[in-house]
Amino acid sequence: MSDKIVYSTEPEDFYYMNVNIPCQSACPADTNIPSYIRALYEKEYDRSYDINRHVNVFPGVLGRICSRPCEDKCRHGESELGDPVNICHIKRAASDFKGASPIPLKKGESTAKKVAVIGAGPAGLAAAGELALLGFSVTVYEALDNPGGMLRYGIPEFRLPRNILDGEVKDILSMGVELRTGVKIGTDIQVGELLSKYHAVLTTTGCYRAIELKVPGEDKEGVHSGLEFMMRVCSGEKPALGARVLVIGAGFTAFDCARTALRLGAKDVRICLRRTEQDLRVTKDEILETKKEGVKIESLLLSQEIVGNGKVEGVKFLRTRTGEAGPDGKQKIIEIPDSEFILKADSVIVATGQAPGPFEAPGEKDKNGVLTVDKETFLTSEKNLYAAGDYVTGPTTVIESIAMGRKAAHKIAFDLTGTDFVEKTVRMQETSITDRQRSWDFIPRQEMPALSPVVKRINPDNPEVETGFTKDQAHDESKRCYLCYLHYEIDMDKCIYCRYCIDNAPRDCIKLVDEVELNELGAITGFKETTSWKHVNAIIIDNSRCIRCGECVRVCPMDCISVTRVELIERQKHMIGLQK
Amino acid sequence: MKDQHFVVIGNGPAGNEAALTLREHAEDARVTLISKETGGCYRPHLIPSFISGKFAEENLYVFSPSSYKELGIKYRSGQEVVEINLKTHEIFLDHREVINYDGLILSLGGKPRIPENLQVFSDLMLTLKTVHDAKVWTEALEKADTVLMIGGDLTSLSFTSQLIKMNKKVVFALNEEAFWPMRFSRELHDEVAEKLSKKGVTVLDYSRIKSMNNIPDGGVEVHTDHETVCADIVGAFFGLVPDVGFLATSGLKIDRGILVDEYLNTGFEGVYATGDCAQVYHPEINDYWVSIGYENAVALGKTAAFNLIGEKVKAEPECIFNIQGFCVNSSWWMEF
Repeated sequence: MSDKIVYSTEPEDFYYMNVNIPCQSACPADTNIPSYIRALYEKEYDRSYDINRHVNVFPGVLGRICSRPCEDKCRHGESELGDPVNICHIKRAASDFKGASPIPLKKGESTAKKVAVIGAGPAGLAAAGELALLGFSVTVYEALDNPGGMLRYGIPEFRLPRNILDGEVKDILSMGVELRTGVKIGTDIQVGELLSKYHAVLTTTGCYRAIELKVPGEDKEGVHSGLEFMMRVCSGEKPALGARVLVIGAGFTAFDCARTALRLGAKDVRICLRRTEQDLRVTKDEILETKKEGVKIESLLLSQEIVGNGKVEGVKFLRTRTGEAGPDGKQKIIEIPDSEFILKADSVIVATGQAPGPFEAPGEKDKNGVLTVDKETFLTSEKNLYAAGDYVTGPTTVIESIAMGRKAAHKIAFDLTGTDFVEKTVRMQETSITDRQRSWDFIPRQEMPALSPVVKRINPDNPEVETGFTKDQAHDESKRCYLCYLHYEIDMDKCIYCRYCIDNAPRDCIKLVDEVELNELGAITGFKETTSWKHVNAIIIDNSRCIRCGECVRVCPMDCISVTRVELIERQKHMIGLQK
Repeated sequence: MKDQHFVVIGNGPAGNEAALTLREHAEDARVTLISKETGGCYRPHLIPSFISGKFAEENLYVFSPSSYKELGIKYRSGQEVVEINLKTHEIFLDHREVINYDGLILSLGGKPRIPENLQVFSDLMLTLKTVHDAKVWTEALEKADTVLMIGGDLTSLSFTSQLIKMNKKVVFALNEEAFWPMRFSRELHDEVAEKLSKKGVTVLDYSRIKSMNNIPDGGVEVHTDHETVCADIVGAFFGLVPDVGFLATSGLKIDRGILVDEYLNTGFEGVYATGDCAQVYHPEINDYWVSIGYENAVALGKTAAFNLIGEKVKAEPECIFNIQGFCVNSSWWMEF
């Protein structure tokens, strides 16, 4: 085994990473998931946290509220393999158990360039943090009283305690990022002025315009927008809702509104969906905890009118059914004629979406006053004025916003200096098999412990509902990861075709192959298998089927199976220099 | 129909009826019935009477496994389907066998439902769905005087009648979620509570179960927002939830059950859902409904089979369990 590390930027290697490390591919920020899980298994909590922080400045936050696209793709969740690894909550464990002072973030060598970021939400703070790491002087302007954007004003404290958010914002500011809160752009200061003071201005003002339901009666007393409702509650207000609350919407905001309504004293809270529970983008954990608290979910309903005499008294709905899938893959919603009925309510919260609002700035805008932005370059039509995050894409997830904020930071850094500060690279290093045992595949998924019974949750302290893994639970869960970043390969020059590996493999991951199929990039895309020995040209480990159990390596009498640790990483300029 | 292979998954009353109907009306087709359970199709509504000793176990069964062979139905008992590929018409079994089909009827039935807020106490409560569950109850009842029933579904009401005949003291925590997936009203609650009280059942006045715990000397202590109740056995009776978890990625539309049209078609050609696992819109109640009761299940099983072989039969339940309209004429309910 050699210690040699190889870095590759060949397209076929990126293709391999995309296919074979599905969790990392699914993460908008390309988080090196197997690596941070392995670090946690080794009880290296600081390192596990830090691996996350390479691409995501909010591991503690995201370990709680991430939408977890990685878990949907986790190989452990394939039908015959059980449940996906609880990737998100391992991230939280790294944050919970890291030392009081993890590896500090350090501002990069000064580039003598200044950047203003408008908006201290996840995209803005991620961009600010990245620019500071790269050596830029950054000032963040925030209209509200505190930083965090929707993390602070859209997510309730029982899901995201503010000390966690504050701690991670503080880490960003520790690199010298200046934060100016309570500054309204267009009122207190103009974008033109910022453009004259800074080398670049990045707008990440998010989506602060609530989308209306557009049905009669929406102006009645007792009808709230989800956005306004959550912002009021997160600012310390306690709106009076009455006993019966209907929440119309299907996203995280709708669920947050419903659970918050219970905490404000509502007795009967229902979330009303146009589609089915199956179509929800909210995580299963969130749905379960919401139901545990007593919120009911009503599906296949289409709101027609908010009824009441001045004040809301209920909502008239039509039943719906699902039809053929449209071009976006979503099944159409079809109204069922003559199926009207009314659900009574004292308050209605409309959480059907948000959009970016008008923004006073130079440059081309659409009919809603929103800046026109090139999504590849993040540039507006105004020189040095960039935009990123939900302001550009419409509402997305926090991890998408963070990823986009960082990408925008890299683009700004390149445009201002002519230098590519980071390079995406496939890092390969031969390694030995791990101590991972086959029996670990049968460890059940560790679910996040939550405050129970439910009566403990609804009290004036508004405690965090998810209480976090113990170290033992986190360790057990980390064992479940297949470590897909390990690549197993048979050296055909040494192989004696004994079949021991095939006989010992727990699934059909080792194949007798006649031909290997390659795509135009030169990447392996498939195999033509054969059952006839005279046609066997190779014995191949199909890494898309391999669960990295190491059984093949252990039984091979010729020691002809190599293991390579293959990781998609970002190398910073000075690291590349060292390699040279 | 020659050389066609029709597969029915699930051997409850609906699945059994579907398989028999297919056998009778599609003589040239191969018919396969796959069941997770062993022992054959039984009458679930008779289980409470089985516990009280009114019925012997053998009388619960509609069909013995050998009967299917005589009829020419391939019966695969004790085999679990873990995945269905609706594009390639393949059914994957947990022992890795793959079965191809030309027509498919899903009659997967339901499993006992426990509302999410009570799931943390699942280990302290008994449920009642299968013959095995019934045997667990029978054994537990030998040492029990007091039974606390939480919920209020049809099984619980039927079972309460039998418990009273067995001279057990029954306490009932009538729960608003009991009639899931139907809506619940205060009027219905009061009507049911009155009927229970007349039979000598103590009906608790409560709105939330706060916690439950084992008592060191046996039994369970249940804390509601109004009082603490001790019982030798606690039963959870919140209806059934369709057993469709393994279909989550199949492409089928799933809500409270598998969404089907009035002909029980799932939207995929030749694929039908029936019985407890099918969710159908019904214009008379302005709502979707999921079959409840033995008679409904049998009727729906027959309907699915006829539609699979090319008939055009609408799903009309034998009797609707209409809580909103108080049209409560289900066979189980009447029995109570």
